[in-house]
Amino acid sequence: MDTQLRVFVVEDEVLLQMQLEVFLDEAGHLMVGSATTMHEAITRAPTAGADLALVDIHLADGPTGVEVGRALADMGLPVVFMTANARRIPADFSGAIGIISKPYSQTGVAEALKFLVSAVKHPPPEAPLPPCLTLAPALAERWRVN
Amino acid sequence: MEARDAWKLTDRLQAPSGKGDPFAAAVRATRMPMVVTDPGQPDNPIVFVNDAFLQLTGYERHQVIGRNCRFLQGPDTDQAAVSAIRAAVESKTDIAIDILNYRRDGTPFWNALYLSPVTDDDGELLFFFASQLDVTQRKRAELDVIEERDRVEAAVAERTQELEVALQARTDLLHEVDHRVKNNLQLISALVLIERRKATDAATKATLTTLRERVEALSAVHRLLYRNDNVVRFDVAGFIREFAAEAAQARGKPPVGLKLDLDSISVAAAFAAPVALMASELVRIAITHALASGTERYISLSIKPTSDALYRFCIADDGTAEGIITSIEPDQKSFIELLATQLHAKVHWNGYVGPSHSICVDLPIDEPPRGG
Repeated sequence: MDTQLRVFVVEDEVLLQMQLEVFLDEAGHLMVGSATTMHEAITRAPTAGADLALVDIHLADGPTGVEVGRALADMGLPVVFMTANARRIPADFSGAIGIISKPYSQTGVAEALKFLVSAVKHPPPEAPLPPCLTLAPALAERWRVN
Repeated sequence: MEARDAWKLTDRLQAPSGKGDPFAAAVRATRMPMVVTDPGQPDNPIVFVNDAFLQLTGYERHQVIGRNCRFLQGPDTDQAAVSAIRAAVESKTDIAIDILNYRRDGTPFWNALYLSPVTDDDGELLFFFASQLDVTQRKRAELDVIEERDRVEAAVAERTQELEVALQARTDLLHEVDHRVKNNLQLISALVLIERRKATDAATKATLTTLRERVEALSAVHRLLYRNDNVVRFDVAGFIREFAAEAAQARGKPPVGLKLDLDSISVAAAFAAPVALMASELVRIAITHALASGTERYISLSIKPTSDALYRFCIADDGTAEGIITSIEPDQKSFIELLATQLHAKVHWNGYVGPSHSICVDLPIDEPPRGG
């Protein structure tokens, strides 16, 4: 079974982009593209061939991450927000699967990705929901987890 | 019509002389303004007024006899009060009500009106009797109180709104600071990662791994502090549960089993970092021990209040191998002792519970803030 995720990263801090790339690589996944602004995200994501987008809320052009998440989700690309400020995310999670709270650990991200592989590729997910990942309420109900 | 004409007699009485009916004389002479109306005639006109009524209203007797009482009403008279009086007259019941009336010269006064029907022995309505009392002073005082109350309420509402705005500003600021702290912790762990990947020798890698794990413990503190919207108290049990679950996954394949027995204990946020660093260090020692022994099936973590002022955090092995104490590096021991000094905690390095070996720490429970 294919367990590798191709991940598009939207994060304005380059050090955190780099850290995520290492986390993805060491967990057996692949970062296929990145963006630091809403414009970059929306123009680059469609051609990146990604299975999943990890999206920060505060980007280089302001708190545009929620809008980016909505746009990518509308394109059919599954989104997980990575943020230190979950309050900015609307109740319906703006179409995203869930939230990984900052500051995250390498293990936390790896566990979340393990869950997301089956959530994205062959839902419903088989792996247990790790504590560092908060699911959107609608999905949590559909998948009977949490 | 004998009864109906009785009042005419009253008016003809010579009050000062004391002749005639003494009750009628009293009505004529009292300082309480009084009126009698005749509902038997069209529009229920006044048929008797005493001098006190004329004094109160400023009218001459001939100006009021034969008229309905409504000439006392004026522009600011409450129509609800007028309706209530009309209803009482129609239903032949009595009523006591404060109504704003006007004197002949146009000045208003508050009239505490008492109106009651007068019936004969057969229950047939004969008259209406009304007494008036000028309660302008009392009414003004009442209105002053209402005005003062409204003023105070408005002032309180305004102040409350100011405070709410100030509180919101403070909350926003707190969220902003919290956001930056979390972002910076993430950046610190990224910086450690860069150095760790560059490191070529095992000792440096190990040092940076320890550093990363301690930064991750602090990161978990900040994730938890805000998750429950409680920035004042830190949930120690919640932290241990989350940190241990991740740490057990992080290094073991298969992961180390955990036996958790965690009572809900919280400490002031000011102690969150040292408590979390100490607890996470002990959890990592336990996991390292289980992995190194190769035979340990699980580790136990427990947290319990032991007295009013203390709680105890313990790590224990399953007793199948050498004691957990053998897995501690000297620098880990001094790191924990250092934090224990700060927290006024006591470490019991070499304990036994049945066959298993344990390390326990007794920590003081801080006084939760009063009224908060």
